[in-house]
Amino acid sequence: MATVAKKRRGRGWLKEEFGSPDRRAAYYMVLPVFLIVLAVAFYPVVDSIWLSLHGGTATITGPFVGFENYATMFQNSNFQQGLVDTIIFTVASVTIEFVIGLGVALAINRSFKGRGLVRAAVLVPWAFPTAISAVMWRLMFQDQIGVISYVAHALGLISSPILSNTHLLLIACILVDAWKTTPFMALLLLAGLQTIPEDVYEAARVDGANAMQRFLRITLPLLKPTILVAVLFRTLDAYRVYDLFWVMTGQQLESLSTFVYESVRISQLQFPEGNAAAVFIFVTAFLLALFFIKVLGMQTSTEE
Amino acid sequence: MGEAHEGAGRKVNRRDFLKLGGAGVAGAALLGAAGCGGGGGQGSKGPVDITVAFGRESTGTLAKLISKFNKQNKGKIKVTWRHMPSDTGQYFDQIKTEFQAQKTNIDLIGGDVIWPAQLAANGWIIDLSDRFSESDRSKFLPGPIQSMTYQGKIWGVPWFTDAGMLYYRKDLLAKSGFKNPPKTWDELKMMAKKVMKDQGIQNGFVFQGDKYEGGVCDAMEYIWTNGGNVLKNNNSNTVIIDQPGAISGLTTERSMVTDGVAPQAVATYEEPQCEPIFLGGKAVFCRNWPYMYGLIPQYKKTIKPEQVGLAPIPVSDGNHTHSCLGGWNFYISALSDSTKQDAAYEFVKFMTSPEQEKAFALNASILPTLKSLYSDKEVVSKVAPIRLNKTAIQSTRPRPVSPYYSDMSLDMQEQFNNSLKGTTSPKKAAKTLQGQLTQIIKQAKNA
Repeated sequence: MATVAKKRRGRGWLKEEFGSPDRRAAYYMVLPVFLIVLAVAFYPVVDSIWLSLHGGTATITGPFVGFENYATMFQNSNFQQGLVDTIIFTVASVTIEFVIGLGVALAINRSFKGRGLVRAAVLVPWAFPTAISAVMWRLMFQDQIGVISYVAHALGLISSPILSNTHLLLIACILVDAWKTTPFMALLLLAGLQTIPEDVYEAARVDGANAMQRFLRITLPLLKPTILVAVLFRTLDAYRVYDLFWVMTGQQLESLSTFVYESVRISQLQFPEGNAAAVFIFVTAFLLALFFIKVLGMQTSTEE
Repeated sequence: MGEAHEGAGRKVNRRDFLKLGGAGVAGAALLGAAGCGGGGGQGSKGPVDITVAFGRESTGTLAKLISKFNKQNKGKIKVTWRHMPSDTGQYFDQIKTEFQAQKTNIDLIGGDVIWPAQLAANGWIIDLSDRFSESDRSKFLPGPIQSMTYQGKIWGVPWFTDAGMLYYRKDLLAKSGFKNPPKTWDELKMMAKKVMKDQGIQNGFVFQGDKYEGGVCDAMEYIWTNGGNVLKNNNSNTVIIDQPGAISGLTTERSMVTDGVAPQAVATYEEPQCEPIFLGGKAVFCRNWPYMYGLIPQYKKTIKPEQVGLAPIPVSDGNHTHSCLGGWNFYISALSDSTKQDAAYEFVKFMTSPEQEKAFALNASILPTLKSLYSDKEVVSKVAPIRLNKTAIQSTRPRPVSPYYSDMSLDMQEQFNNSLKGTTSPKKAAKTLQGQLTQIIKQAKNA
């Protein structure tokens, strides 16, 4: 019925939408939410985009410069470094987290003694605020007192101090992020696993499917919606990484978000570039989400 | 400055939005505060309320001095201390946010010595040249006064100061046959190597080489003591960091690592990493600020005060010693009304009077900015860094005074750190900085 009403255009449509008191009331109910969304989501985004097309500083908005800020931003070596680091970090950490997370989810989905305890224990790293675990890891990476540095040197794995080598730091960031967020991934996937009814497996077993076949033909396809949601969440999170890079690497590594912070908060001259970078992060993250939804067929609602 | 007016229309829009967007709780609070702020002080007959911003002060001395002032000025002025982040970067970020929005209750800033040019260029603090007369100024150490001289005007009053110095292990040097601390960088390396070899000490020399503001301070000292500088005369618009003096300064810094005197990881050290190494007995020399002397009692098991000596920063042959200037000054907000500005200045005069500076120095072990206190017997005998190292405190130099210091510092942090790590040669780092800093000054002129 609703679709029929919407299709009828012209004055009749207006009258139908706002004519009945019930419908009007509904609009009044929705209005505050609509205004809040406009104020807290829509306005800042549009304002950022608008600002990114102007020169000036944090205090004064300068003249309209078109896409010049974006051009200087792409030429900025710190931005380039941040982009490369962020992409490597995102791809590597999400992949590791997904593979291990799926393994952990499959393992704790079975029933065994002390399952509740294991499920709770798995979440411990994730419960730490990132900034705090970052400080903790930084101490362990330190050259004179750090246990990891000590072991790595003793085994002959590395020859230079971890904290001053940007390649080692990037690897360290990926591993620490995996340590921290794998539990989150595992938990999301576990929730998905539990929605798969046991009788499907039973039927498969009766038909003679082996464990591998059951995993590939039943578990994975039925888990796909959960996997897409979990991976999208993690990808967007990793893509916006800030605290881990800023705190654990002592500002040695650049990510897109640290570049934005440096530009708009510390620098007095790079404000427009920083704004452009903020818009860049927003737009690319949006496109990434769109890719998940449209190309990979992620479901955004439970309706058909 | 013409563009400031052109942009004004836009600025209002954004500010209006702040009010509108927070139409709920935040907005109402903001508007309410703004409403009260205007009327406070002159409307009623009560005392003039002023707010002074400052970070952490762990000994409680500042709080005592404030209540002493409030008692003396009962009914006239009432000072409230607003606690700010103790990290200078975060503190400055907060100040910038509030002053940019023109919504702040801060009347007086107890701020870092690297801020005045940046605050002044934005029109956030007032010119104190008239109130703080030349004869008054001559009572203070020259370094801090230089740090707040911008465009020929004086923007603050020095409160307390800080200077980089060389800590050395008297006992270790004596054991290896050295009577005096090193005067030159070469001597330091030679002594460090001998002591490391003779007595099996792990590290020769540790200092702050990380990519952060402190890394700039240390590198500046290497540059100055090699006869170089970043800007000509320290505050002009001519960048001279690609000159031989500066390059040889960065080369000296890097040579500490390549000669095996400093650990490779010195490029990741800040002050807290240096403390346990030197005070834990694992280094011969350490460059740090005076505060570290006060930590000796915490390391009772590994070190005693009589084992530690303080000396001025070494030099390369034929140059003068220079210490990087640290410390905090008072700046008066340009956004406060004149009654409050006058009251704030009264408080500044009180805090920088010999009596209060002495109390602050004795109880909080900080270094006063008044010259006279450096010959005060009680201060000299009780504040060890003054007794042991007056030269360093009197030969301080500020970092480049520029309204775009934050931007310069970001580039310097990166290049100095690269040069120390060895990923860039000192010469290339200096050349890169020459280009980057020149560009910043050029951009700043156009802004």
